[in-house]
Amino acid sequence: MSSNPDSRPNLYALTWRLPIIFWQLIFFVGPVLFMVAMSFFLVKNYRMTEAFDFVNWTRMLTRGFFWDSYWYTVVIATASTVCAMCIAFPAAFALAFRASESTRRWAIFLLIIPFFTSYLVRTFSWFVILSESGVVNAMLGYIGLGPYTMLNTNFGTLVGYMTLTLPLVVILQTVTMANIDKNLIEAARNLGCSAFRTIWQVIIPLSKTGLIIAAIFCFILSFGDFVAPFYLGGSQEPTLPILILDTTKSGQQWPRAAVVAIMMMVTLFAIAFTGIALAYRKGKGAK
Amino acid sequence: MSKPLVVFDKIQKHFGTFVAVKELDFEIREGEFLAIMGPSGCGKTTTLRMLAGLEAPTQGDIRLNDRVMNDVAPHERDTPLVWQSLALFPFLTARENVEFGLKMRGVDKAERKERALKWLDKMGILEFADRDISTLSGGQKQRVALARSLVMEPQILLLDEPLSALDAHLVIRMQAVLTDLQRELGITFVYVTHSQSEAFAMADRVIIMGKGEIAQIGSPKDIYREPANQFVAEFVGRNNILSGKVALLTNDTAHIATPSGDFTVPTNEVRLIEGHNASFVISADLVHISLSDPNDGNKAQCKLISEEFVGSMVTLFLEDAQGQEFKVQMQERELSKFDLKSGAEVWLSWDTASAHVLNES
Repeated sequence: MSSNPDSRPNLYALTWRLPIIFWQLIFFVGPVLFMVAMSFFLVKNYRMTEAFDFVNWTRMLTRGFFWDSYWYTVVIATASTVCAMCIAFPAAFALAFRASESTRRWAIFLLIIPFFTSYLVRTFSWFVILSESGVVNAMLGYIGLGPYTMLNTNFGTLVGYMTLTLPLVVILQTVTMANIDKNLIEAARNLGCSAFRTIWQVIIPLSKTGLIIAAIFCFILSFGDFVAPFYLGGSQEPTLPILILDTTKSGQQWPRAAVVAIMMMVTLFAIAFTGIALAYRKGKGAK
Repeated sequence: MSKPLVVFDKIQKHFGTFVAVKELDFEIREGEFLAIMGPSGCGKTTTLRMLAGLEAPTQGDIRLNDRVMNDVAPHERDTPLVWQSLALFPFLTARENVEFGLKMRGVDKAERKERALKWLDKMGILEFADRDISTLSGGQKQRVALARSLVMEPQILLLDEPLSALDAHLVIRMQAVLTDLQRELGITFVYVTHSQSEAFAMADRVIIMGKGEIAQIGSPKDIYREPANQFVAEFVGRNNILSGKVALLTNDTAHIATPSGDFTVPTNEVRLIEGHNASFVISADLVHISLSDPNDGNKAQCKLISEEFVGSMVTLFLEDAQGQEFKVQMQERELSKFDLKSGAEVWLSWDTASAHVLNES
């Protein structure tokens, strides 16, 4: 904290940090420790009993259904991240470089509005649009296509994930790119870089940190989301959050659900850690 | 006179209702060092950006080597620009920055590296080739920016106030670097600046711009000694400007009656009419100082207000009884003979040939 070896801990500073330290201890460190402990408990007659047994861990981690679910969740959360980043980019690009200052401000305001309503409500509204007799299939019917099954498929899950993550990803990308020094883009153009090529050569390298953080957020939200895969994906192939739900419901297996939750947290920690390390990695020439 | 490399043909530039450039008509000669100078907002940077293709003229044609450039995209032009902010890519090393333009032009890797290193060496910063831009000093960054543009081996190099962020002693150093480079390479330099000392120290010709128009084009000496109008005279500074009415007109001189007295000036080619208003300037370094009344010739009695001391040159700021300001520039060792105190009364005088009548604009 201090470079001065003689200095004692500053009581004043410590006092002001106490609330946040308490908050972290009570609401984060405490529950996590409890969850870790719980993963070693046993369930007897539908009641949790304190124990120290590795049976939950071996049961979960040696089973095919856990790893199927794990890899399915990783893949679909990655797909969601790729989709969100790609769909958001043109919009964020236009808002950052083409739109006026006031248009950009309004757009960001409008992108915040979806967060005012419950995510669950927004997810349910997709039923009307995506069902066999829904709006999309009705319109496709006019031109002689369909009907297509969109609900209870991976497509449905991804639509749900986009509902959750897209506004946030667009905002993060827009803010990142709007802060780019426009001189650098013009300098690239001046040195023979076509407008389209500046995206790869200048804009993405310059907004790398913000883009990676947007992707991390998107992955974390999708990875842990229960609503989209449950209601729009039909949960035939359960994602990890659905697996947690199933595990707790069937036989009150809270300890085994804790194992799944810990595995999720470890994965997200690894993703966030590598992502942020990448985001802030200096150029190769750094000394 | 060499043939024009660039022609600005009745160029106008509007941003909405704001007129940045009213009408520009000038030529840039091949191999010259041209400075475009003016106060902020005069349209000098816009002019440079139009040449680089970063702004499109609202009206008129810009021709480079007789080719109309209006519809040529910036990346298809060979007009590298050195930016005021330098605009170096922070995610690349010094060498990668220099290689950027070559990479865009499809030059292969080995040649790119060789040419980049050659230019970094020429700029004296070879040892920093693989350093991150953020670890370089202002002067080093400046050299990387120059190398990045010059490695393209352009016919013309555009510079937008490139020295404005540097310390004073570095500015002088970089001025020498720039003039040497320009002579050696024979490239046309177009240098935009608000600094008179930079423009006059380096340029073969200077364009003075004001409010989106050219106020004067000429050699630094022409502009300094014979400003075309009051705007130039005031902008160039270190000029004494006197205004009055034409009292008497002879063959090649005129008497101009001002509140500070009657003065004789050469008419040159300026059309003067008796009884009409007229202004003239005398460069501050052409005014003599004496403690006693010089009796005849152009003279004014003044009180010393303050002095400004830069190196061996001193600028005196004086005022006569009518409140007319005078500036006198002289060598410090010359001034020390007079031993003047603030408020001292002195006489100023100058040769009639030193005065220069302004066009009324």
